[in-house]
Amino acid sequence: MADPLLSLKNVQAGYGESIVLDGISLDIEEDGSLSVLGRNGVGKSTLLLTIMGFTNVSAGTVTWRGKDITGWLPHKRARAGIGWVSQERDIFPSLTVEENLTVAASPGRWDLKAVYDLFPRLAERRTNMGNHLSGGEQQMLTIARTLMTNPAILLLDEPLEGLAPIVVEELTAAIERMNDQEKMALVLVEQHASVALALTEQALVIERGAAAWAGASGDLVKDQALIDRYIGLNLTGQAKAG
Amino acid sequence: MTTQIVGILFDGLAFGMLLFVLSVGLSVTLGLMNFINLAHGSFAMIGGYVTLTLMREGGWPFLATLPAAFVITALISVAFERTLFRRLYRSTALNQVLLTIGLVFVSAAIAAYFYGTVQQPIQVPDYLRGSHEIAGVSFATYRLFLLVVALFLVALLIGGLEYTRFGARIRAAVDDQRMARGLGIDVDSVFAVTFALGSGLAGLGGALAIEIVGLDPSFGFHYLVFMLIVVAVGGLGSVGGSFAAAALLGIFDVAGKYYVPALGSFLIYIVLIVLLFVRPRGLFGKR
Ligand SMILES: Nc1ncnc2c1ncn2[C@@H]1O[C@H](COP(=O)(O)OP(=O)(O)O)[C@@H](O)[C@H]1O
Ligand SMILES: [Mg+2]
Repeated sequence: MADPLLSLKNVQAGYGESIVLDGISLDIEEDGSLSVLGRNGVGKSTLLLTIMGFTNVSAGTVTWRGKDITGWLPHKRARAGIGWVSQERDIFPSLTVEENLTVAASPGRWDLKAVYDLFPRLAERRTNMGNHLSGGEQQMLTIARTLMTNPAILLLDEPLEGLAPIVVEELTAAIERMNDQEKMALVLVEQHASVALALTEQALVIERGAAAWAGASGDLVKDQALIDRYIGLNLTGQAKAG
Repeated sequence: MTTQIVGILFDGLAFGMLLFVLSVGLSVTLGLMNFINLAHGSFAMIGGYVTLTLMREGGWPFLATLPAAFVITALISVAFERTLFRRLYRSTALNQVLLTIGLVFVSAAIAAYFYGTVQQPIQVPDYLRGSHEIAGVSFATYRLFLLVVALFLVALLIGGLEYTRFGARIRAAVDDQRMARGLGIDVDSVFAVTFALGSGLAGLGGALAIEIVGLDPSFGFHYLVFMLIVVAVGGLGSVGGSFAAAALLGIFDVAGKYYVPALGSFLIYIVLIVLLFVRPRGLFGKR
């Protein structure tokens, strides 16, 4: 059997001395997709930061295409094909929109033309400075910027948070296309369970840094009691601000 | 009268251009990397001694020593960056000041040991000596040369920072280190290269300075003051700002010593204080 694309085994990780994730395991195949759900502060962002190499891993291993990358620096992981879009939407403010896109680009399927086709609004704003964008445009820019590195997996941290419904629709369609048509693996951190579960095959529910539930997204959708217990009542699919 | 003013303006501007080459690297490292490198003047001194040694011992022509002063200073600075400075990037400003000011003392002592404490003159080539007369005012050739070099460097630096991908990477790394790393930018290398270029420019400045201000082991101290003023007035990390600040500083210094000799070199401090009252972030400072 081929190695999974990305695999975490009993990972314990945190910041400095404090441990946030305790014993997380997961496997994602080449075109797999995973929702990471859970309340605020349970460690969802920390999981993505751990995959990127920004946290202290005190136990367990992170492997990428069968290679142990637990000790790799973040930029090396990014170059190996792990594409991360942070929750903070960190645009580089002293770069234009186009410079934001090209600054870390590497050759491949996703070039300027392809991302402008995906998000035409960015093409209109190409000479704007990165910080002169609306929230939705900023999120498009951060996703497009990561696509420009031509990753094999996309790690999205609450990409729909605080966006207008119309923008949520546009982004959801783009994310779906990435995974279904472009065969890019996907890890989607979300507060809004129904949106995320519709987009992914697998789901992982985190509770205080540990896996509370793991399985097929289709099964979780049906289990309302479980969703209420671990995630709360965010099933309407509306991306609320904050 | 007018010719005298033009002459003083020109001399001041030329001195300012020298200060620009000496300081712009410090502005970049301080502004972009938030590292307080008070040893920047010592890197300039190294460049000066490289040129001196190559000319005296190696018989190199002056112009050929300039790239060497740049490269050797850049390489030495990288050795320091990799071994010492890097450890203090996340440390306090005080620690950075203490380490780098210590290096200034050490480098001054080393220079005094090998070259003695006296001023070391060099012979610039004939075509850089003498002067050109334009409309009754005589312009020293070497100072014209300084002006040309500085303008060329300004164009190169602004172009490099604003219009190249490496320049965009520097700006990205400064804006948000974590995100830059997360996108695959090797931030440590970007900073190391930037630091080397900045220090190399100081080395070039030190080499260019010998003809104007001489060279002795106190160079690292003496010009540190000027460098810090240029950075403070020009605004951190601003190439254009450093240029304007250096030009102003050079002109005020030369004019002050000429017209108000009683105040001597104090005039520049008065100008500095007034300027920073009006514009605390410097002329062009963003932060
Ligand atoms: N940089 C950090 N340093 C220390 N603790 C942090 C840091 N970032 C997050 N935490 C802590 O880690 C825990 C999980 O946070 P996070 O992963 O951001 O949660 P989520 O993304 O699920 O809302 C929280 O208790 C938070 O306070
Ligand atoms: Mg989060």
